[in-house]
Amino acid sequence: MEILLRQFQTKSFLSICKCLEPAYSHATSWTSGNAMLGKTLFHTSNTVAMPYNPPKGPRKWPIYNKKIFAPQLPGEERRPAYVCHMRTNIKYSPFKMWYVASMIRGMSVDEAIKQLSFVNKQGAVHVKEVLLEAQKLAVEKHNVEFKSNLWVAESFATKGLVMKGIRRHAKGRVGLVHYFHCHYFVRLEEGSPPAHFFFETAPKTTKTLLSEWVDEMRQRRIPGSL
Amino acid sequence: MPGMLNMPQDIASVIFENSIVEFVYNIYLMVRERHTKHWAPAFKKLRRLKVQKVKLPNFREEDTMSELTPDQIRSRMKEQGILPPRSWMERPITISATGAVFEPYIPPEGDGKLSSLTLGGAKQSMEFLSKKSKSMLAVRKIRSFEDNFSPSTFAEEAQDIYIKAHKALVEKDYDTLHQCVTELCFPLMTEDLKMCTTRWQFLKSLEPPRVVHARCTDIINKENIFSQVTVRFHTQQTLAVYDRFGRLIYGSEVVAKDVVEYVVFEKHLANSYGLWRIHEKIIPDWMPAREPGRKTYIQQKPVVESEPVADTAVPATPTEQSAAVA
Repeated sequence: MEILLRQFQTKSFLSICKCLEPAYSHATSWTSGNAMLGKTLFHTSNTVAMPYNPPKGPRKWPIYNKKIFAPQLPGEERRPAYVCHMRTNIKYSPFKMWYVASMIRGMSVDEAIKQLSFVNKQGAVHVKEVLLEAQKLAVEKHNVEFKSNLWVAESFATKGLVMKGIRRHAKGRVGLVHYFHCHYFVRLEEGSPPAHFFFETAPKTTKTLLSEWVDEMRQRRIPGSL
Repeated sequence: MPGMLNMPQDIASVIFENSIVEFVYNIYLMVRERHTKHWAPAFKKLRRLKVQKVKLPNFREEDTMSELTPDQIRSRMKEQGILPPRSWMERPITISATGAVFEPYIPPEGDGKLSSLTLGGAKQSMEFLSKKSKSMLAVRKIRSFEDNFSPSTFAEEAQDIYIKAHKALVEKDYDTLHQCVTELCFPLMTEDLKMCTTRWQFLKSLEPPRVVHARCTDIINKENIFSQVTVRFHTQQTLAVYDRFGRLIYGSEVVAKDVVEYVVFEKHLANSYGLWRIHEKIIPDWMPAREPGRKTYIQQKPVVESEPVADTAVPATPTEQSAAVA
């Protein structure tokens, strides 16, 4: 049954702007003679009043959050949960953000937040906010039981919008001024952080040391021999 | 003393040889110089004009959008050159399902607990629809639209719709699911299972399905009639729900459960293309609670509003004694 619904806006201007969001089928209250109706559900067609702003910036990172894994077999080891989160176009240079991003790699979430609270960089403020948001998402939407049982598996920053301005130098010379933005990405994984996140800094076991020494010894050649 | 030599303290002691100059230098080291002030303040304006100011887009605007006043929104829209929206909104709407169950069926307490072979169980199953006048009136109303409608045949059809709906839900076939389930029921069924994998099996029906209740109402017009029929199912099913990462969060694939359900089916009779679809489920209070899911929550402590405590040790108003001390 199709009827024409005319809503007269007696509410504030603010609510008008909120109504401009795309209307999906939602339950609204309909005050008519029929008391049985209460909340009726009706499909509404979209009316576009605001100009379309296409999404800008990176969009692929959160898609990792939508991947659904096949159910695990009874004997299999429990798969750790993960959550991918990002913040785009932070007014900060990606070259400076690299220091903050690489500092927290392989740390547990609590340790990372603690450290970031005392890092003297503006980027650290943003990274800390992103970590807290990601922690909250993990618990609420990705079935992570304990919010402290997370560690930073991936943390990196990429170049965002770069706006160029000019400045003058002495003797009529011109200089370019770059206004950098960066995107920050983080992936939190469930569990305790690994003992050695960076392979290069992990201490070598006696077995590996021995095998390496043996290989080196075996590689020796006498120059000029047959 | 701007531009003082940056020499370390031990060298300074050697150069000045414990003189007054060394003493003054040590004092100077404790003082911090301001490096942000130019020595020629007359040219400040020109120095500022060296760098052309660039207006950067504010990417953090959406975080503060909710706190803006209507005047602020109006000014922002003017800046961007966006016209204000119409003062009214006209949209065609379609009402394809009601928003609730009207005059819901009240299941008799303890239904399904006694076996139908016992006396008590047999009495329970002898609940005849024909003895309920209002339901029979509703059935007659349905017959005026649908000639060959009868509660006995409908019960079997309802079970088929039930199985079809659940199979579509498990396979995430939302096109078929919309055919089997109303708009009220659809989000209730799908929302929590969007990021989950479900495995469901219908093993068998322990008792034949039975129509227990029927009602008809009209929405807006007298001719626009919706009918709701409640069917009682007593079936054996298995259900296992896995989360996004394939970990079991509810139920089991092997353990079968006996289920007594009162499912409300709805049809838009006035619509010639109307279908019988699952609308709601009636869960009585006496029904035992389901197996809890494997998810833990932090229990929120009740917020207790503390009364302002009067600090008797320190008097709020100055007394003679405290004034004397001061």
